[in-house]
Amino acid sequence: MTLPPPRTPKIENRESKIAPPAPVRTLIEITGLDFYYSEKKALDDIHLRLPEKRVTAFIGPSGCGKSTLLRCLNRMNDLIDGTAIRRGSIKINGIDINRPDVDPIELRKRVGMVFQKSNPFPKSIYENIAYGLRIQGINTKSRLDEVVERSLRGAALWDEVKDRLHESGLGLSGGQQQRLCIARALAVGPEIILMDEPCSALDPIATAKIEELIHELKRRYTLIIVTHSMQQAARCSDFTAFFYLGRLIEHADTRTIFMSPSNPQTEAYVSGRFG
Amino acid sequence: MPATAENTIPSSATTARPAFAITRKRTRFLGLTLDECIQAFFGGNALVALIVLALIMVFLFREGAAFFGQNQRNLTVYRQAGLEYIDHIRRQETAHTALTRRLYDLRLAAFTQLTQNQRLSPADANARLAALDDFSVRFSDAVMPIRGLVSDLGEVAAAIKTRFNVNEDKTTQRAQLLAEGRAAEAAQVVIEPVDFAAELQPILDTLPLYRETNAAFAAGLETLLTAAPSLAQIEPGLDARMDEFKRQTRACIATFPEIERKLAAWDYAQPVPLTASLSAFIFGRDWLTASFWQDWYGIIPLFTGSLLVSIVALLIAVPLGVGAAIYVNQVATPREQRLIKPAIEFISAFPSVVLGFFGIAVLGELLRRFSQAGWVHWVPGFPIIERLNALTAGCLLALISIPTIFTLAEDALNNVPRALKEASCALGASRLQTIVKIITPAALSGIISAILLGFGRVIGETMIVLLCAGNRIAIPDFTSGPAALTQPVHTMTGIIAQEMGEVVRGGIHYRALFVVGIALFLLSLAINYAAQKIITRYRIAE
Ligand SMILES: Nc1ncnc2c1ncn2[C@@H]1O[C@H](COP(=O)(O)OP(=O)(O)OP(=O)(O)O)[C@@H](O)[C@H]1O
Ligand SMILES: [Mg+2]
Repeated sequence: MTLPPPRTPKIENRESKIAPPAPVRTLIEITGLDFYYSEKKALDDIHLRLPEKRVTAFIGPSGCGKSTLLRCLNRMNDLIDGTAIRRGSIKINGIDINRPDVDPIELRKRVGMVFQKSNPFPKSIYENIAYGLRIQGINTKSRLDEVVERSLRGAALWDEVKDRLHESGLGLSGGQQQRLCIARALAVGPEIILMDEPCSALDPIATAKIEELIHELKRRYTLIIVTHSMQQAARCSDFTAFFYLGRLIEHADTRTIFMSPSNPQTEAYVSGRFG
Repeated sequence: MPATAENTIPSSATTARPAFAITRKRTRFLGLTLDECIQAFFGGNALVALIVLALIMVFLFREGAAFFGQNQRNLTVYRQAGLEYIDHIRRQETAHTALTRRLYDLRLAAFTQLTQNQRLSPADANARLAALDDFSVRFSDAVMPIRGLVSDLGEVAAAIKTRFNVNEDKTTQRAQLLAEGRAAEAAQVVIEPVDFAAELQPILDTLPLYRETNAAFAAGLETLLTAAPSLAQIEPGLDARMDEFKRQTRACIATFPEIERKLAAWDYAQPVPLTASLSAFIFGRDWLTASFWQDWYGIIPLFTGSLLVSIVALLIAVPLGVGAAIYVNQVATPREQRLIKPAIEFISAFPSVVLGFFGIAVLGELLRRFSQAGWVHWVPGFPIIERLNALTAGCLLALISIPTIFTLAEDALNNVPRALKEASCALGASRLQTIVKIITPAALSGIISAILLGFGRVIGETMIVLLCAGNRIAIPDFTSGPAALTQPVHTMTGIIAQEMGEVVRGGIHYRALFVVGIALFLLSLAINYAAQKIITRYRIAE
């Protein structure tokens, strides 16, 4: 991959208030993206640059296209018939991911995804995590053991399940299942992790655990998280993008979005007056 | 006073209707409201269905149950008339015949070897095999004394049985006349009871003679074996087969003393228990009716026939049906789906008699022609000898069961949560990996139950097997391995359809067919039950 030249974003990082501004590299670059479900336009002229090793939150009222954009990033929309990007491009590390020579399977190994509803496979905990490696043809037990442990530790689940690795993943609690899904995504070694409302089905304690985990993960991964909870966006993200009716309304660092948004629609939404 | 009263009533009550109206007058019919009538109508329909089902079952079991008593009597006569005694000896003869057949097979193999591989002319080959032929003839003749004994004794026993049957007929005749009040005529029907002990004596008296004959037979075979020609110069493999033949013959000779012991211990008066009648049906290896010697009602040949045909059908239908279901559900474009699904479901619109007709007229001959092509001779059972056989019927039955398997398997695949597929793809699995490792295992219980229901559909199918399975009542020769699949068979459904029309109502044969029907019913019930259980037991938690 050819690396684009590092650049300092115009929008300031929250951390930069404390530490001297660290140079943040743009990892994902979306330009002029129009996305269609058959004839229905779901995304309209999106321009967005997402920084590396930071958490970006997508917020906006229901149906505004957050999930759609998220699924564009690992080409999950390919699985839906009739979807098309009619205009614009998405570049990750400078490579247009919709180019014909890009293999979506390779892409998805680099861009992991965690879904709204936890969806472990009806297999054991161990096999759930080993799956991503097994499909790559890795079957060596020692290697699998190692990755399973590392992934579970990475998802802060190891201590809770280390004695029951060979029991069904469906026997875990909702919050544990969601962390299992995160561990599963980590196992294939992605650079980017997409999370679509990962906590919407969880109670506050499980949610807090996941949020803590997100803080941990951003040291090594670039995270994009869709959420309906303003508090969650404020707590865990560095940058926030606000969408409305398929358009990107405002994108800035989280503090700016919540404290002094420049757009009145953003202001209305984050203060809870509509949405 | 009304005027003052009106003033005191709250304004909302001044309108005629009550403030909180939740009651309504309903029209009633026979004391039932309309809702209740509708409910009664549907409930009634369900009840009628249940009652009819119960009546059918009661009828089936009542007609069938009497079979076992009748068969017990049938077996008792078989023993009392001495037929059983003779069949013990006959078994020896049958075993010897099977051995002779092996010898002929061996000769054929040797002949092929000589003419094809060693390029001898048929005349030369025959000359080379003269020693073997001589041996074969002498081996086959060795059984003659036993055969003679069996046929002599058989005539005596058959005569006893006939006498008994005549008596039975006369008894019924007399009972009938008495019932009609014609006592004088009834008195004229004379019944001479059969004295089995006396009648059997001549048969039993031959035991010493039999012992003698048998000893000579065994000794004869032994000397023959030691003088058997060696086939080693023709081909070492054939010599090994010859050794195998010798071994089998010696094993056969070893059973002779056991038979003698059985004959010595045989007692015509020993009662036949009801369980013997039951096991004669369940484990009986012969279905033989209207025979001059003895009728046998054993379900095994029919059951294996049904099973064999079903196996052929499922071997074809499972890959096709499940494969098509996976393709349509996971791979096909919506356009293909719209085309394939109705097309497969349309197959079940064919009347099975039309398919059977097609099997007789076209498929049977086509398969036989195909099997004669040189390059498929490696397939076990090819070339096919009979046009109508388990394979022909199985192919058509597969067609019948594909819609069932396809539709149900497709349903099962459809029920796999989409989230699992997405999760797998998001981890970088290809479509094929997702299908093989996630979707199919998740739908497996549904697919298995689809296969079971397809099996149920096949085993209950009648017309096709009746027309195309060849209807030979015999247990297929499983020693030839998969080649058994190309043999003609008869089935449980086929036998009922074929024989029910020509049996005497209430007779043993009639009842035997009912018991076959019951067996079929229980089998279907078990299959359906298993299918239900599997699908509910292993349904994946959503
Ligand atoms: N598979 C689909 N086919 C057709 N239209 C779709 C499909 N999925 C989503 N849409 C439409 O695209 C638009 C954006 O949907 P999307 O799921 O991205 O919204 P969202 O912002 O994630 O909403 P939510 O917060 O409710 O999840 C909506 O109008 C939706 O109706
Ligand atoms: Mg969404």
